[in-house]
Amino acid sequence: MQQQADGDPAGLSFGFLTTLESPVHGLFGGYLVVDSLGRPLEFHCTAPVKISRAQQILYGASLDSHLHGQQVGGALLAEAKAAAVVILTDSEQMLHVRPHTSLSVALVRREDVSGRGLGVEEFSLGGAIVRPHADDVSRSADLATWLATLASAVDLCEPFERIRAALDEATRL
Amino acid sequence: MSADGRTVVGNDQRGSGTFEVRTLGRDALVLPTVATSAWRDITIAPPPALRLPVTLMPPAVRSVDVVPGWPRVQSHFFGRPATPPLPVPGRPVAPRPPTQPRTGGRRTRIGPPRDVVKPSERFFYLLQPDLDTMLRGCRLGFPRKPFPFQLEGMAFLLPRHAAVLADEMGLGKSMQAISSIRLLVRSGEAPRVLIVCPKGLVSNWARELADWAPELCVAVIDGDPGRRRWQWMLPDVPVKLANYEVLVRDRDLVAELGLAFDLVVLDEAQRIKNKSSQTNQAVVSLARGRSWALTGTPIENSSDDLVGLFEFVDPGQISDRMPPKAMGEAVKDHILRRTKDKVLTEMPPRLDRDAQIELGPEQRETYRQAEEKGVLRLAGMGRQATIQHVFELVLRLKQICNFDTATGESAKLERLTAELEEVQASGRKAIVFSQWVETLRRLREKLAPFGALEYHGGMSTKARDEAIRKFKECREHSVLLLSYGAGAVGLNLQFSQYVFLFDRWWNPAIEDQAINRAHRIGAVGAVTVTRFLSTDTIEERIDEVLRQKRDLSEAILSQADGPTSAGLTAEELFQLFELPVPQRTAA
Repeated sequence: MQQQADGDPAGLSFGFLTTLESPVHGLFGGYLVVDSLGRPLEFHCTAPVKISRAQQILYGASLDSHLHGQQVGGALLAEAKAAAVVILTDSEQMLHVRPHTSLSVALVRREDVSGRGLGVEEFSLGGAIVRPHADDVSRSADLATWLATLASAVDLCEPFERIRAALDEATRL
Repeated sequence: MSADGRTVVGNDQRGSGTFEVRTLGRDALVLPTVATSAWRDITIAPPPALRLPVTLMPPAVRSVDVVPGWPRVQSHFFGRPATPPLPVPGRPVAPRPPTQPRTGGRRTRIGPPRDVVKPSERFFYLLQPDLDTMLRGCRLGFPRKPFPFQLEGMAFLLPRHAAVLADEMGLGKSMQAISSIRLLVRSGEAPRVLIVCPKGLVSNWARELADWAPELCVAVIDGDPGRRRWQWMLPDVPVKLANYEVLVRDRDLVAELGLAFDLVVLDEAQRIKNKSSQTNQAVVSLARGRSWALTGTPIENSSDDLVGLFEFVDPGQISDRMPPKAMGEAVKDHILRRTKDKVLTEMPPRLDRDAQIELGPEQRETYRQAEEKGVLRLAGMGRQATIQHVFELVLRLKQICNFDTATGESAKLERLTAELEEVQASGRKAIVFSQWVETLRRLREKLAPFGALEYHGGMSTKARDEAIRKFKECREHSVLLLSYGAGAVGLNLQFSQYVFLFDRWWNPAIEDQAINRAHRIGAVGAVTVTRFLSTDTIEERIDEVLRQKRDLSEAILSQADGPTSAGLTAEELFQLFELPVPQRTAA
């Protein structure tokens, strides 16, 4: 999968990666690739992963990294065909996917209503705050430029709602 | 330690003595049996030998799968959608939406219809951006900000191939349809659209299209056969607009030309409720991808109306043999109906009042004589009396309630004049409905001081449009007199604050349609509706029947068990005069 960064901004693709925890089924992962207008290009979702108590104990602190980053995130990204310029996630644990992909990864969150300022390496785009993964901090300027294209059409936190709706549907199918 | 055991002799660590340890091989260990210490010459008594087993039995091993298996991944690819084309050069463009997308708040989303079962297709709908984002992406603006329920109406229409938008009159069905058409045309999903409406509403639709979709090219199909043939064949015109009569006339031509449409929209779709009518057959025969029906009254008289409608919308979905509850369940996902009281909590209120009119002495006498004479005649006819005879009597009595045929006296007119004086004095506007053109003409004459204008089927389209324009723009025209037939549908008269029903129609749905010409979106204040009702006359008796009919539509649409027919039956007509129903008529 080649990261696309040049050419017409309208031709850019953006990835949105998140999970949905179901008390009954386990952890679902969803990865949505959209175009610069926020329209869906690809969607990948995992079957639920259920973690045993023993796994929780034995993996300890490394469980999140392994489960979200490699098992769920890695599996989803492996199936994607479209090359996103950046993968956005709304889950801190999902940042662990970064070692398993060559694509840039960033955490996005809704702008704090309490007026909390921007953290180091964070930037704001249309009501959302973006924090690049530590490995991608050096590309912050590029990410901000690409994401500005998307943010002019879509609220950057909105596609996660779509993924959750689709995962919710997947649990029923 | 060797297998056969041996004795080890060692020195005390401090070099002051020796000790001896003897082993007995792998299986046993003998602790020191002799231990002497030269240090201080102390001899320690040998302890008793202690045998300890040292064989290590291999433990049971339990493997724990600590690496969660790789989850199965389901993938769906949707392809890159076409970039929305730019508006046609030279055509005006509606205002663009604000530059920033909305963050947070309630979003209107397109949900997958119930009959879409393939996961990929369901995901396709679920993963679309919210409507606000889609409109922004297509660079579509609105001349006026849509209400949230109107966006929901669009979200209902867009994914459906079979849909009935059955909103109560005045909620903007045409705007919702036009905005949905825009999106489908711009996305390339429906480049060939046909809108069919009653003849009297063609110019209204043309205006609405220019208002809500100024970038869309529209061809109005009218004129002589040669012109119509040319219009039907016009390429690169995404929207064609025809009236029902034209469609019936051109049914063979449309087939001959092999025309097919991606979307056909029927306005006032109750027109096709009769399955065997030519209109129904003409629209059903159209080759089409999507079928949308717009109607405020999907059920006017009986559940059969809905069956006729679905012959176009989704053939075979329901049949006239189905009980109302099953019918409601079958059409549930295809019908969206909202009422003003549910969605427009901020809309100005509608104040309804029944004006009980006491006929004057002369008018009362004329009425009494006509009724007695008529009833006696019917009674005298016995089994020869038909529903037509009863109907004629009803009409005659209703006309007398409007104007005394002998003297021209009219208690209703006196009351109306008094009301209109107040309307005019306050600088407001009123619309008055009657079922008779003759009544409207007499009213116009009597209400000349109020600048009364007429609007009915006896006028040309041009004259009617001119009447609407004058009523809307000129302060001196305070009153518009409309017939139920021509004026009850499609007109936007929300600048009128008063509605008078000079006489009553046979069907409450039609009356509601009439009232909603004024009480609709954009109404600037409370709308007062006055129903004139001559006391102790046939009007009161009809009113009672109409009240009983009012709940039928809601009964079906809410899937409740209800009466299967609410029409004014032959039996009901005869009972208006307490006459026995002739056997053959009742059958």
